[in-house]
Amino acid sequence: MNKVRIVLIVVVALFILLGLGLFNLQIIRGGKNRELSNKNCIRLIPQLGSRGIIFDRTGTTIVDSRISYDVMVTTLNSQETDKILSEVARLLGADFKNIKAAYKKNYLSPSLPVVVSRNIDLKKAIALEEERIDLPQITVQPRPVRNYPYNSLGAHFIGYLNEIDRWRLTRLADYGYKTKDIVGFGGVEEKYDYYLRQEEGGLSVEVDHRGRMSRTLGFEPGINGKDIQLTVDLKVQKLVDKALAGRKGCVVIMDPNSGEIIAMSSSPAFNPEAFVEKNNPLVASYFKNSDAPLINRAISGVYPAGSIFKVIVAAAALETKKINLSTTFVCPGKMLVGRGEFKCWSTHGPQNLIQAITHSCNVFFYHTGLLVGPEAIHDCALKFGLGRTTGFELANESSGFIPSPMWRKVNKFKNWFDGDTANLSIGQGDVQVTPLQVVRMISVFANGGYLVTPYITKAVDNKDMSRYRKKSVKLKLNPQTIDAVRKGLRGVVSEAAGTANVLSGVGVEVAGKTGTAQAPPGLAHAWFAGFFPYKEPKYAICVFLERGGPGYYSSVVAKEIIDGMVKEGLI
Amino acid sequence: MRNSYLTILITALLIVSLGIISIYSSTYQKEGKPWEDIYKRQILWVIIGLICFMFISNLHYRRIWDWTYLLYALGLFFLFLVFTLGLVRMGAQRWLKIAWFNFQPSEFLKLIIVIFLARYFSSKSVSDISILSGKFGITRGIIIPFIFVAIPALMIIEQPDLGSGMIIIMLFLSLLYLTGVRLRYITIFFILALLPLPFLWHLLHDYQKQRLLVFMNPNIDPLGAGYTVIQSKIAIGSGWFFGKGWLSGTQSQLHFLPESHTDFIFATFAEEWGFLGSVVLVSLYFVIVYKGFSIAQKTNDFFGKLLAFGISLMFAIQVFVNIAMNMGLAPVVGVPLPLMSYGGSSVLCTFIALGILVNIDRTRAVF
Repeated sequence: MNKVRIVLIVVVALFILLGLGLFNLQIIRGGKNRELSNKNCIRLIPQLGSRGIIFDRTGTTIVDSRISYDVMVTTLNSQETDKILSEVARLLGADFKNIKAAYKKNYLSPSLPVVVSRNIDLKKAIALEEERIDLPQITVQPRPVRNYPYNSLGAHFIGYLNEIDRWRLTRLADYGYKTKDIVGFGGVEEKYDYYLRQEEGGLSVEVDHRGRMSRTLGFEPGINGKDIQLTVDLKVQKLVDKALAGRKGCVVIMDPNSGEIIAMSSSPAFNPEAFVEKNNPLVASYFKNSDAPLINRAISGVYPAGSIFKVIVAAAALETKKINLSTTFVCPGKMLVGRGEFKCWSTHGPQNLIQAITHSCNVFFYHTGLLVGPEAIHDCALKFGLGRTTGFELANESSGFIPSPMWRKVNKFKNWFDGDTANLSIGQGDVQVTPLQVVRMISVFANGGYLVTPYITKAVDNKDMSRYRKKSVKLKLNPQTIDAVRKGLRGVVSEAAGTANVLSGVGVEVAGKTGTAQAPPGLAHAWFAGFFPYKEPKYAICVFLERGGPGYYSSVVAKEIIDGMVKEGLI
Repeated sequence: MRNSYLTILITALLIVSLGIISIYSSTYQKEGKPWEDIYKRQILWVIIGLICFMFISNLHYRRIWDWTYLLYALGLFFLFLVFTLGLVRMGAQRWLKIAWFNFQPSEFLKLIIVIFLARYFSSKSVSDISILSGKFGITRGIIIPFIFVAIPALMIIEQPDLGSGMIIIMLFLSLLYLTGVRLRYITIFFILALLPLPFLWHLLHDYQKQRLLVFMNPNIDPLGAGYTVIQSKIAIGSGWFFGKGWLSGTQSQLHFLPESHTDFIFATFAEEWGFLGSVVLVSLYFVIVYKGFSIAQKTNDFFGKLLAFGISLMFAIQVFVNIAMNMGLAPVVGVPLPLMSYGGSSVLCTFIALGILVNIDRTRAVF
């Protein structure tokens, strides 16, 4: 029967078709299908380690991590999503619109859980966990976040954490950084981010069609970041913060012998905690605030040095032997240089070098400056580390600026006049310094002629970092020069007519120099730079008040800090 | 002689065992008492099926000739009962609850239609082996049998069970072809049948339209109607050559694949046993189909011949449609995979059909 044969052939053909179909699905496209099948049922739940802890020099925690809870939602279709999201909104007491917006913003792919709410409190986290049986689509994921027990304390040298930006991502992609990574911005958090950052571990689980976990396939715990110990002394830092509160300016306290930063504070400050929570309105206000609370004034701010610069002129004069300790100039309260009249802030009468430093006599330094000449002053300033960065670890350090006739000629096509020399001699005009440079400069007189490199990290992961530091440089200075300037600096505090006499009452012998840097329009900047105890200095300090008025006010702040340190027995 | 009996029995038992293994696997992860028992129920059905097979294989198939109209009437009666008393499950009214089990008359209707057509186109007398239909005109050759086939077919489609209805129509057409009704008539009939299709489209249920559209392109609705096909293709494909291993198929174990123990049992099997297992399974099916065809060819009695053809074709069409549907080569219609899918009616009906087939081969020598 021919027809039977045809039907049989058709049936055989159909079965061969089945075989070919199987071959296509299972062999040709088998790998692709296996992948799809794995994608269906394997989910990766990131397990974060916690970021390294930042300690102070005594081992007290300044910044650590705590557990925050994120709400994540895994759904298959959009109707279900809306239902679940409204349920989440109800349980959290949040607005459905916000939850929905967060869902849309964070959605990556259908197989991944989406974070809809961050940083919920423990009670709500427990409440959501209880609903888990009925709503398996909701997961509460613990996530370590930065914890700032002292809020804004040390915010500037610590920095804050935020989602990585494009600029950083392009630079850091080779080091394994990814989009949406949380990285340090500013301070130690940024500088040592590579050490501090935790390594992401993961839990790979098999889930069923409703996203419920059926078994664990693999687990790699997150690795905690490495801890960092700073040279900062938390107690001193607290005192400094307290003294600066409500003022605009900064304070740096440094060990003049080693360059260790003991305290560094800039005001107004910010609270890094604000960056933990996304869309905190505080963050926006930080960026908008014209007082720039995010700027670390101690290293990034450049200001005219004012009378503090006289120390440099004095050293330059003694080193170049233009004057000696018995050279005396008479201060009549003003002086004519070229065609201009240059004033002193008072009438001091006859002054030698030590007296002139003590009284901060402008006229004496006009004379001296003119004798020494601008090039020598410029060179000496550079020798003391001004006009260039100090080599401090943290980013965004400014170099400041010291003018010279050559610079004036090349860049401004102008000649250098004696008036400019006079201005330079009292640290006015184009002189720009950072508070960190000032404290480093004053340290030279505290430690007997060494230019140190300031640093703030003592140890990373319990490994002492001092081996890797730049050694302090012994400056070629005559010991007599240092001695004379020291005497002058001591006089500033100890003499009744000294500009920082207010500091004489503290329980320790302080030496230093005030400065009132004119920066019209507006009030002058107030400086105080010094060290204590006088005999064997352990601390060098620089107090700077932006538009704080006369230097006297800075010495008042310094007094407050040193008083506190004495009381706490830190000296 | 005994040879074909044993071949069919052993092949069927092999397939059924693979089926039970796969049903066990697909319900393995599901919690709850009813799921735990499902493979046991299937074993019970297989035992009942085997008893029927033994019994019917010893019963002269010519006896069925006498019962044909009774069977047909009974079939229609049960379909009617489904309409009035039927159990609604998954949006379809296909089942009758009898005592402790659910009975699906549409499964038996396929066999009944085959028997009916075999009788209709052959003569009573055993000695008269000539073909009746050759003498038939268009009325007796096509229209009258079509009416007999269309009534149950429409009732089944209305249940709705598009798959079983279509299989009955396909059986009808292929038997028409085999009986020797003039090709001209069949062509005319076919064209006439195709003409109202655009109108029939509107009579289809929304989900049926959706399924047909999804068959054309499963990605138009990946989470709705297309979901099953996509997941089933992934399941089969991810088996690769050796498969993921028994009880290790993620698609079925983790419920990504719906209906993994009934209509999509093939995907469950293919995922765990891979290309190797699937080819073996398809070959086993082919062994039965081929045996059925050779029995038909060897039989001189025209009733027996048509019956054997009908049964083999019924078996082949169901296997093909189901596996093709699992692979996304055919639209998703509710057709079980004979001997593999969970379901008492299907297992029982298939064993009865195989019993008849074996009996035709065994008693052929008598003539």
